[in-house]
Amino acid sequence: MDSGYYAACTALVSRTEALDTIANNLANASTVGYRAQHNVFSSVLQDASNASQSPINQAMNSFGILSGTTLDQSQGALQKTGNNLDLAIQGSAYFVVQTPNGEMYTRNGGFQLSSKGQLITGAGDPVLGASGPITLPPGEVSISADGTISSQGAVAGKLKLVQFPPGTNLTSSGETYYAAPPKTEIPATDSTIKQGMLESSNVNPVASMVELITAQRSAEMMQRALTMFNSEMDKTATQDLPKVS
Amino acid sequence: MFHALYTAASGMTAQQINLDNIANNLANASTSGFQSRRVQFSDLLYQSEIMPGAAATQQTTVAAGLQIGLGTRPGNTEIIQTQGDLSSTGNPLDFAIQGSGFFQVMLPNSQIGYTRAGSFQPNQQGILVTANGDQLQPAITIPANATNITVGSDGTVSATLPGQTNASTVGTIQLAMFANPGGLNSVGNNIYLPTLASGDAVVGTPGGSDGSGSIQQGMLEQANVNIVDEFVNMILAQRSYESNSRVVKAADEMLQGLNQLAQ
Repeated sequence: MDSGYYAACTALVSRTEALDTIANNLANASTVGYRAQHNVFSSVLQDASNASQSPINQAMNSFGILSGTTLDQSQGALQKTGNNLDLAIQGSAYFVVQTPNGEMYTRNGGFQLSSKGQLITGAGDPVLGASGPITLPPGEVSISADGTISSQGAVAGKLKLVQFPPGTNLTSSGETYYAAPPKTEIPATDSTIKQGMLESSNVNPVASMVELITAQRSAEMMQRALTMFNSEMDKTATQDLPKVS
Repeated sequence: MFHALYTAASGMTAQQINLDNIANNLANASTSGFQSRRVQFSDLLYQSEIMPGAAATQQTTVAAGLQIGLGTRPGNTEIIQTQGDLSSTGNPLDFAIQGSGFFQVMLPNSQIGYTRAGSFQPNQQGILVTANGDQLQPAITIPANATNITVGSDGTVSATLPGQTNASTVGTIQLAMFANPGGLNSVGNNIYLPTLASGDAVVGTPGGSDGSGSIQQGMLEQANVNIVDEFVNMILAQRSYESNSRVVKAADEMLQGLNQLAQ
């Protein structure tokens, strides 16, 4: 049938997928350390051999699909909590966490203590220091801007902070954990730790709402286009054309 | 599209719990020694349709993966540890802690509970107890005929007896500290219990350098609820709930449009 029919159909599917991402961003607008996802649309040619086709054919067979989601790496707002084990990163660095699925990275610095006195995340995984998991001494701890942990004047360890070269693809893994391709992490240089603060989600509600409306209206347009293909053109083909004589 | 409905529902549920917590903070804005809590959220699993860095061809990899998140969930409620305002009561048995320590009290089940509510009274035996009758630990007995009671910033309690010019020490208040006070378990009546997350209590003398703080006699610590912050959080929770319900509406309308396609 008409390739335009499939183009509209593909676009409709991609808009519904886009809505899922927008819904996830808005649902996580209050999640500490959450990085917003942005939709990436791209056009694909129906068939790679179409390269030799005429421009009009290429235009007709170029479908818009949701090809990917990228993480927004902008800084979220810092909010004060006054809790000694709440840490926010100002800059592009990530904390390193030892999970059952290997090392993961997080910006969510709402840390706690395990029964063994180790610094753990809210999900219970140890936070890594320069030399493995960090065990805190009893009593009040203070954490300096470069991640050095000290208690009553004695240094107890240093948080491992890493950053990634621009364009590194981080994978969201839930629990505000992110995974990175192997051997991409480099020591953080531009970041400071703020003790007693947390970084809020960097979701922009205004932009998300605009994306939501755009996705919805664009889906409506595709639906309208599909209806036209479905009713008007097919009607012409099956009912009106035979009457022409 | 069906994800969007459930994702938005998870956001609405999360904001509902957020509002419940804000309501409790506001309801306790006048509870002395109350420490407010804040809900922490975390994102749920992702459906990875294309993994970032997956091979697009033998030579190239995809620039950005396609990951669809499935919503949010409330992770934990942590206790906010900021100092509450101290208000003067003039009652010699009202103590406020300026610092991060906790009073230790003996609960009816002989367990030690921890509190920052420092309003004490002597019971029939003259032992200092909280408003719920739990004894301050270590127990301090105020002589029945004491004319004047003084508590130093280091927790030394001294009483002046009739006919004496010098006050005599009747006990010392000790303060407990936790490595992670945010992980304490609130059991109501201003009492906290230690958990694996908070670590065990480290008992120290007030006024020292350990950060447990000093005792202020004749003062009470007000709840550390910041009314303005709570109202701002309430508005945010409400608007976030609305934006999630807007997603539900959008998804519903798109589904409705789809159903009409078939007509």
